[in-house]
Amino acid sequence: MQFSILTDYFGTYMEGFRGTVLSSLLALVGSFLLGTLIAVFRISAVRALRWFGTGYTEFIRNIPLLLVVYIFYYGPSAFGSSLDGFTAGTIGLAVYTSAFIAEAIRAGIAAVPKGQTEAARSSGLTYVQTMTHVVLPQAIKLVIPPLGNQFINLIKNSSVLTIVAGLDLMYFADIVNSDTFRTFDTYVFVALFYLVLTLPLSYGMRVWERRLQRKY
Amino acid sequence: MIDFQQVDKHYGHFHVLKDINLHVEEGEVVVVVGPSGSGKSTMLRCINRLETITRGQLTVNGVSINDKKTDINKARRDIGMVFQHFNLYPHKKVIDNITLAPVKVLGVSRAEAEKTAMYYLEKVGIAGKAQAYPSQLSGGQQQRVAIARGLAMKPKIMLFDEPTSALDPEMVGEVLDVMRTLAKEGMTMVVVTHEMGFAREVADRVIFMDQGQIVEEAAPAEFFANPREERTRTFLSRVLSH
Repeated sequence: MQFSILTDYFGTYMEGFRGTVLSSLLALVGSFLLGTLIAVFRISAVRALRWFGTGYTEFIRNIPLLLVVYIFYYGPSAFGSSLDGFTAGTIGLAVYTSAFIAEAIRAGIAAVPKGQTEAARSSGLTYVQTMTHVVLPQAIKLVIPPLGNQFINLIKNSSVLTIVAGLDLMYFADIVNSDTFRTFDTYVFVALFYLVLTLPLSYGMRVWERRLQRKY
Repeated sequence: MIDFQQVDKHYGHFHVLKDINLHVEEGEVVVVVGPSGSGKSTMLRCINRLETITRGQLTVNGVSINDKKTDINKARRDIGMVFQHFNLYPHKKVIDNITLAPVKVLGVSRAEAEKTAMYYLEKVGIAGKAQAYPSQLSGGQQQRVAIARGLAMKPKIMLFDEPTSALDPEMVGEVLDVMRTLAKEGMTMVVVTHEMGFAREVADRVIFMDQGQIVEEAAPAEFFANPREERTRTFLSRVLSH
C-alpha cells in the first residue's frame, strides 16, 4: 500500500470529492422534491395524475441508471442543444433516484391509518392541509429508513458521472490512476472518500429515526 | 337539521342503504342501533360525506351534502365527528390535536384556539393532559379528547360512530357521561352505539336498522317496552338478555 498516493494526489482527489459532494447534494434535494411530487401524483384522486405517476415510476425504476443519464447527456443534442457531463449526470441521478423515493414515500403514506385522514377531513381540513399537518408528518417516520438507503445509494451511484466526464471522484481517480499505475491503491483511497460521506449520513438517519420514535 | 330523503347507497353490487328516510331536528338526540353490518355507521358517515350516497337527497344544515357544487369543507365545519378508534393524531400533543382545525379551518388565533381547547378539555375532565401525547392516555381519556376536539369547532351537529366499542368496560362510563352532558345542553347528536342503557336514557328517538333499512323508530320508552317489528324484538332479546 503506497500511502504517498493519497498525500501526493490529495488535491486531485479533493477536486473530485467536491464534484461528488455537489452533484450528490443537488441530486438529493432534486430527487426528494421530485419524488415527493410523484408520490403525491400516485395517490391523487385525479386518474391522469395517478397514471402519470405510476408510468414515471415504473419506467425510470426499471431501466439502468446509466441509460437515464445518457438520456440527459445525449438527448439534448438530438434537439440541437447540449448539457455538460456534470449537469446531465446530476439530473439523471436525481430523476433515477426520485422514482425510488416516490415509491418509498407512497408506501409510507399508504401505511398511515385511513382514520387519520377521515378525522382530519371531517373537521373541515382540506386535502392539502390534511396531507401537510396530519398524514405526511406521520408518514415521514415510516419513510426515513428506506429514504436513508436511497440517499446512500444516490451518493454511490453518483460515480456514474465518470462515464459522461462529470468531474466526480471516480473521474479524478482515473486521472490519478493513469499517473501512478497503482490501480488498486488508487481506488482503495477513493473508497475512503465515499465512506466519509456515506457513514455519517447513515448514522445521521438512524439518529433522526430514533428521535422521532421517542417523541410519541 | 339532517334530512335523508329516499337515500340509497350501493357498494358495487352490495346494497348497503335502502330507501333511508330520516329527519333529525335541532337539539334532538337520535340513537341508531342494530346488528353489525346493518348500515348504521355507513348512514352516519354519509352525513358528512365520508361516504357518498348513490341516490336520493341528503340535506344537512340546509346544504345538499351530495351536491357537487357544495363546498364540503365548509359544510363539515358544522359537523363534529367522534370515531370508534378515536383517530387522535399521534404525533401531536392533546392540545395541538384540538387546536389544529380551529386554527387552520376557522382561522382563529393560536391563543384563542388554546383557550377554547382548554375550556373543552376542562369540560371533558382532562385539562391536566393538555401537554401529553395521545399514546400516554387511556382509551377513555383519548375518546374524551376526541370529543373535545370535535366540540372545539363549535359544531351544530355531533356524530358519534360507536364511540365506546373500542373501550375497556370500565372506561365506557366516563365517555357516556360526557355525551350525556352534551345531550342535556341541547347539542344535536346522532349516535351509533350498542349501549342500550344510553339509548334508553338519553335518546329522544331510537332508530333500529337491519340489512340497510330503517326497520323501526320510536321514543326510547316505547322502543324498548313495545317494539312493533319482529326483527326489532329478536334483536332486543339478544342484546338485552345478557
